Amino acid sequence: MAVRKKSGHGKDFSPIFLAFFLILSCGVFMALKVETDGIIRKKIPGSSIIYIPSGKYLKFATFGYSSLLADIIYVWAIQYYSDYNIPERFEYLDHIFSIISELDLHYLDPYDTGALIAAYEAQDLDLALKLLDKGLEKNPDQWFFPYTGGHYAQMIKKDQKLAQEYYKKAMEVKGAPDILRRLYADSLYKAMDYQSALQAWLEIYQTTTDERVKKIASNHLYRAKATIDIQNIKEAIEKFKQRFGRNPMDLSQLVKAGFLGSLPKDLDGKEYVYVPQTGEVEAPTIWWKR
Amino acid sequence: MKIGAIALNTFKEAIRDRILYLLFFFAAVCIIFSRILALLTVGDRVKIIKDVGLASLSLFGALMAILMGVGLVFKEIDKRTIHTLLVKPIHRYQFLLGKYFGLVLTLLVMLLGMSIIFLAVIFAHTFKLEWQLLVAILFIFFELCLVTSVALLFSCFSTPILSSLFSLSFYLIGHFSWGLETLIKKVKPGLGKTLAQLLYHFVPDLENFNFKMEVVQKLPIPPKIFLFSTLYGIFYTVFVLTLALLVFRKRDFI
Amino acid sequence: MAAVLKVEDLHKSFKLGFIPKIKKILKGISFSVEEGEIYGYLGPNGAGKTTTIKCILGLVHPERGKIEVFGLHHLSLQAKEKIGYLPENPYFYDYLTASEFLNFCGQLFLMEKKKKEERVKELLQLVGLENASDLQLRKFSRGMLQRVGLAQALLSSPSLVILDEPLGGLDPLGRKELRDIILRLKKEGRTVFLSSHILQDIEMVCDRVAILVNGEVISQGALHQLVSEKIHFTEVILSGIDTEELKGLAESSSAKGERTLLKILSEENLEKILELVHSKKGKIHSLVPRTETLEDIFVEIVKQR
Repeated sequence: MAVRKKSGHGKDFSPIFLAFFLILSCGVFMALKVETDGIIRKKIPGSSIIYIPSGKYLKFATFGYSSLLADIIYVWAIQYYSDYNIPERFEYLDHIFSIISELDLHYLDPYDTGALIAAYEAQDLDLALKLLDKGLEKNPDQWFFPYTGGHYAQMIKKDQKLAQEYYKKAMEVKGAPDILRRLYADSLYKAMDYQSALQAWLEIYQTTTDERVKKIASNHLYRAKATIDIQNIKEAIEKFKQRFGRNPMDLSQLVKAGFLGSLPKDLDGKEYVYVPQTGEVEAPTIWWKR
Repeated sequence: MKIGAIALNTFKEAIRDRILYLLFFFAAVCIIFSRILALLTVGDRVKIIKDVGLASLSLFGALMAILMGVGLVFKEIDKRTIHTLLVKPIHRYQFLLGKYFGLVLTLLVMLLGMSIIFLAVIFAHTFKLEWQLLVAILFIFFELCLVTSVALLFSCFSTPILSSLFSLSFYLIGHFSWGLETLIKKVKPGLGKTLAQLLYHFVPDLENFNFKMEVVQKLPIPPKIFLFSTLYGIFYTVFVLTLALLVFRKRDFI
Repeated sequence: MAAVLKVEDLHKSFKLGFIPKIKKILKGISFSVEEGEIYGYLGPNGAGKTTTIKCILGLVHPERGKIEVFGLHHLSLQAKEKIGYLPENPYFYDYLTASEFLNFCGQLFLMEKKKKEERVKELLQLVGLENASDLQLRKFSRGMLQRVGLAQALLSSPSLVILDEPLGGLDPLGRKELRDIILRLKKEGRTVFLSSHILQDIEMVCDRVAILVNGEVISQGALHQLVSEKIHFTEVILSGIDTEELKGLAESSSAKGERTLLKILSEENLEKILELVHSKKGKIHSLVPRTETLEDIFVEIVKQR
């Protein structure tokens, strides 16, 4: 610019030249973008989220848009966890889903999905249950959470006692569907707490108005009673064996010998089937075929 | 050189803008506050200071670039100082470029100031100077040069509030263009997808200048990207300034 | 003599409002300014005077028309180097001092450093601001800003000086000083293009004028040709004559104490009154023939539109 421009016209660059230059530079930067996209930079995906100490603080920083942010992080989390190329993605599962729940306590899906990911993908059942517990704590009307918890406890951990606790919690939620009570009763049975199971099924039987449910309850009552009775009978047989060194010929012998107070009958009033050679006692009817 | 004279003049004017010092103050507060925040974490304390520091430099730098760029041009047009300049024997492009370089110079000075505070705080903590931090800051500067050119473009034809909003949108979109890429992957191939891909390549990718994470986590950076990112920045800036010039040439100053 | 500034068929419209309504400001302006003259550009507010000037200077792009400065295209840098411009309400960079600002302007003309500094000092002295050369412009009063504006307009020793309403806002002393400067510029051989609506001053300095009304030049030419020298009426202030005797001779009269003010239309009546005063030993205090002024013409022309 040291030399004065001597343009006869005096205008700056002509518009055509500028337009050409515009398109050229556009083309170049777009090509460069393709290049830079190709360069692989090591990323720590989600590092920015991992870094946030707690959702509580984040909530203050978001000026009331916390639920939107919860949505965004949740959507991101789903993409993140669907990417099987990130082997370390489960390290911050707890952290990320805690943040989401702290941002928006009543956003229900993340509790459930987080628990699902924890249970089936990260194989961390405790975390799954923790998430479900939090879900219930913040949303006491959601029976679904403890129900799922019971389900996981039963299916994955195979911890019937734990499952039973969860089903009880689920059952107690206001507005919970009746089937939960049946699941609870069933879990009691599976946890081998037969007396309580009996009680529970009795209660269901007595309080339900649905014929089908009554039938189911009665079947389960049958089974529970049968199990208790058979247990008692078997105990008596053992005592008999100890005393007399052999199985009793029939069950009435147990009563005569004083090992049983009275001979228990099944719910329908029928006698239990006893095979003296093996000492096996069975219910006369298959409980679910009644 | 005429562009140089205008640039220097712009610098002298911009450096007196109080908004800059307000933002500088906030940035300094953030950086110093991070020092205190670092006491609350367990483990690597310097990481927080570095993260907060670089984020402050980037964010407040962007705000400075936008507010200063928009405000300055608006003031010239509003107060009519631009009339006295444009009737002198200068081309309009010389005026525009002079303004741009003046703004860039101001930004450089402000960024240097903030960087010194930042590096001082880090030094007080670790007693060493990491050159990688300087790399991250350098690319923050390149990013801000691009943002400034955008602010200049919008203020050539729009009101200051709209210009600020548009420039801010540019900055935000630039940092989330990868979202567009993710979305495009899920679209069925066809005309829509091709158009979307074209759009994706056009939309600015400010993440190209973002080395904050790599620097703080001490990850390796492929050297190729330095060259390509710089070139990307240069050509995008040229594009924006050319656009600004096209708009500016035809503008009437009533 | 060559035309310093030639404007041919200039048209300009503006789009106003959100739903663009086209308002035509300049409807085909043509005029030319000769070398070495002081040219007045007159018109009521909103006629398009400032718009015309902005077209000439390249701040506004006309739709149609040709503008030539010194035979060159008006937007060429060579043309701009010969022009000095003083805008209507000058406003400059707040934080610069007067000399800093003028030095900056000098840089845009690529003036050599030493020469530039000398010239700046010279001009500050010319406009009477040498004491304020290190004061920041934001502390300047309006009159002082006007002077700085004039200084920056004259910085490159321009052959054509364009002044847009330079006399508005100046006190009588300031106006006189500016008039003197304008006349001096003419003596130096420069051409001055002056837009104003303070007609008395225009009358005092301009050689030729153009009158602009509603975007059209409706009258232009040498001042003495536009304004006839015909005497409209004469105002006489006298004393010592009975009002009775003056009846019928004057158009109107008013008395204050001993003195009587008369408005006399015809020459004949004037002579009669003079005789009367002489014979009755009365006294003439003042006798002012009123010719047509520029203002009179102006008002008449504008009214016609």
